[in-house]
Amino acid sequence: MSGLVHWAEDVDEDWASVLAELTRAFEASRSVAQVEESIVYVVRQDDLLGRRGAGNAMVACGLLSAARTAAMEGARKGWTANVVAFDEEERSVAEGWARRLLDDSSVNGELIRVGSGHIGKTLA
Amino acid sequence: MKGTIVVTGAARGIGRAIAEKMASTGPLTVIGVDIAPELALSESIIPVQVDLTSIEGPGLIRKAVEASGSPLLGLVNNAGITRDARLINLTEEDFAAVLEINLGAAYRLTTELAPLMSDGGSIVNIASRAYLGNFGQFNYSMSKGAVVGMTRAMALSLAPHVRVNAVAPGLISSEMSMAIPEDIREKMVDSIPLDRMGTPDEIANTVWWLLTPLSSYITGEVIVVGGGRSLS
Repeated sequence: MSGLVHWAEDVDEDWASVLAELTRAFEASRSVAQVEESIVYVVRQDDLLGRRGAGNAMVACGLLSAARTAAMEGARKGWTANVVAFDEEERSVAEGWARRLLDDSSVNGELIRVGSGHIGKTLA
Repeated sequence: MKGTIVVTGAARGIGRAIAEKMASTGPLTVIGVDIAPELALSESIIPVQVDLTSIEGPGLIRKAVEASGSPLLGLVNNAGITRDARLINLTEEDFAAVLEINLGAAYRLTTELAPLMSDGGSIVNIASRAYLGNFGQFNYSMSKGAVVGMTRAMALSLAPHVRVNAVAPGLISSEMSMAIPEDIREKMVDSIPLDRMGTPDEIANTVWWLLTPLSSYITGEVIVVGGGRSLS
């Protein structure tokens, strides 16, 4: 299955930078949703916990919530939206999971955590 | 508690309930952002009207805090809007409008006021249960999820001096929820285990608790106040 794999880019600690990155994700997501293809956002585990500053945390957590909403909308049409969160040393593994999620419509609205950094931490 | 609390979006609904609750519970000065002067609710509430998305907005609120003459104990980022549409139909304008108010205004105001916060101060960001996902609210859900991310990051960066938490209201009886078509709203209520909409006062009570020392060991958390709807 084709679709969107969107890697969250690092942003600066300023609002314009955050808005630009979230807008980039929105526009790419809308384009694939309009042709009923699936979406995977890839974010850093640390950013879901706010460990690398507010800017990156806003982007990562914003994408997770957007994926959950998109998943609801896609479920009616047969496309999916998911998120992969990775520890830095597991980047290549995250790529594999992202491709797999595009191919498997049985998983929808999920957060796949690659690596062990999340264990014992808050659930996203 | 004696000092100043800033509440944005204080003109109505949840924000008004929070401002009134804080003004009624102690020797506090409450700066109610968005309240027109003629609608001042009590002597303890100082009305301030600014465009939160403007460049000068946060600085004007900072001046109001400094003019209050008392230490800044709390900030409640409550101002928010909706512009609902399915993702495939969502316009750039509606996407940006929601992000600017719900997230950008909160981020820039918090950045402006955090240096003024007293040791032991508390920031409460009003998120939404929609951060868990809500059909037709890609922009709103994203903005509220991002508010949760901001909460976590600032809880880390401002510790140990200032606590930062989020409250995520579910379906609350307010102008925002009354804009939902009645048949859809009734279906939503049917999915709430407590079998009713919440009230602004129920959100205000939770925010009040997070602003007081009663919650002094809690930071970086999201409290969902939604009648159990996240389970059903």
